[in-house]
Amino acid sequence: MGVFETSFESTIARWHGITPPNDPAKRLAAELADTIAAFEALRGTLAFEDEPSSFEAALQATKDTA
Amino acid sequence: MAGLADHSLVQAADAVRSGEATSVDLLHACWANLDAVNPQLNAVIWQEREQAEAAARAADAAVRGGQRGTLLGVPMAHKDMYYQAGKRSTCGSALRRDFRPTVAATVIERLAAAGAYTFAGLNMAEFAQNPTGHNKTFGDCHNPWNLPYITGGSSSGSGASLAARFNYMALGSDTGGSVRLPASACGVTGLKPTQTRVSRHGVMPLSFSHDNVGPLARTARDCARVLTVIAGHDPRDPTSSHEPVPDYESFLDGDLRGLRIGVPVNYFLDGADQPIGAAMDAALQVLAGRGAVVSRFELPLMDAVAAYGGIVSRVEASTIHADWMRADPQAYAAHISARLYAGYAIPATYYVESLSRRGPILRAFAAEVFGKVDVLVTPTIRTCLPTLAETDIDHGPPGTEHRFMAVSANTRPFNYLGLPAISVPCGFDPNGLPIGLQVAGRPFGEGRILRVADAYQADTGWHRARPAILDGVKGRA
Repeated sequence: MGVFETSFESTIARWHGITPPNDPAKRLAAELADTIAAFEALRGTLAFEDEPSSFEAALQATKDTA
Repeated sequence: MAGLADHSLVQAADAVRSGEATSVDLLHACWANLDAVNPQLNAVIWQEREQAEAAARAADAAVRGGQRGTLLGVPMAHKDMYYQAGKRSTCGSALRRDFRPTVAATVIERLAAAGAYTFAGLNMAEFAQNPTGHNKTFGDCHNPWNLPYITGGSSSGSGASLAARFNYMALGSDTGGSVRLPASACGVTGLKPTQTRVSRHGVMPLSFSHDNVGPLARTARDCARVLTVIAGHDPRDPTSSHEPVPDYESFLDGDLRGLRIGVPVNYFLDGADQPIGAAMDAALQVLAGRGAVVSRFELPLMDAVAAYGGIVSRVEASTIHADWMRADPQAYAAHISARLYAGYAIPATYYVESLSRRGPILRAFAAEVFGKVDVLVTPTIRTCLPTLAETDIDHGPPGTEHRFMAVSANTRPFNYLGLPAISVPCGFDPNGLPIGLQVAGRPFGEGRILRVADAYQADTGWHRARPAILDGVKGRA
């Protein structure tokens, strides 16, 4: 098991009191490296808005009016 | 033998209203098919035959008394996560094998107010958390078209019961595709409404940002009728929209002249199997024959939609299940607890980033995409269906999870974006399994996508095909 896997297993155990329930859990958690990579790729591509934003308001603003 | 059980929901309701059939007739027609094929499908978790028979007789008396309801006398069975006070609701899990909620789901109450009644609880993925139909506690659900293959999930029994003609409409829930996937895999029609369109009060939660209640039925018209009944604000679900509810059947005029259809050239066809692409192209020709104009272009922001959407649903599901994951993790199937486990390692900052960008991303996506087209069309599932064995994470080799997750790749984006989407049958793959066509629209544009789906079904017969498993079953004509 690599440093990354050891790190998140100890983090989850400390923060949540949960240990890996099975081998697939370890495999899927190891794939969080892909999630981190996806977030890294998005950095700088989208700016946070200064004003509060609401998903519900966006639904209304973009709704089908036909 | 075709009979009452082959009726669509609307045909069944019309039959009761006109006197062509009684509600008892409809119920018995469902039971005939259920008794014949459910032992092979495992689509039903529980039944209440005495209560259902009493409800049917009460509905028939109401008809004789002059009552009218758009769903009067229609028997239904739903995914076993819609609460009815005092009645068992397993949510597909051993952890809730004997759970009896004290509240009733608003959608169940609204269906009952329109005259429908529930006669069974349907199999589902454990806590609505897989796209395949595997279930450790109640047994896997099997596809009526080819038994070793997945039904799609998580509303597995919903799709299978409709394809096998022992149900007229089933509620599913759709957090990442759980209405549209079983609709596609089982050859029926399934609608995920706009986020906030339908109340979720009294419905098992999974991801409160992405959860949706939606109907599976034979036809788009069936879905339109049901949505008209169940949509609308509910004070018991403050997140439900105040947007007015139209009569969705009024949109079904078949007129697609000038409709602009967009076909994404990125993401949705990545790794698509040839029969899937061919079926979609043939469907587009049908729609073009009604005057729709098809264009192909690249969708924006798909990397962000995929990355952020996955964070939101995983973190919310893991949060809901934290107590059980601490107390009794082995009560879950391995693939369920495995997926939940990963969610605990995701930082809060990722979750907040994912949520806070949802609105701006929707605005940007809608401005660019819906400035060009009125609806998007994609395959519902981009590959030919896998077998239950090929997607069995619990017992399969490492890597099985990739085949498992690929099933829902085309449906998940519309949950993060909150857009309405419908799946309609559009062909069969080389293994004799249905292929689904997904049509997505603007927020609250259910009327438009239902019109497209209904027009397509007026010109094609895929939704009327019945699986060979029913051949020889003696139902009531």
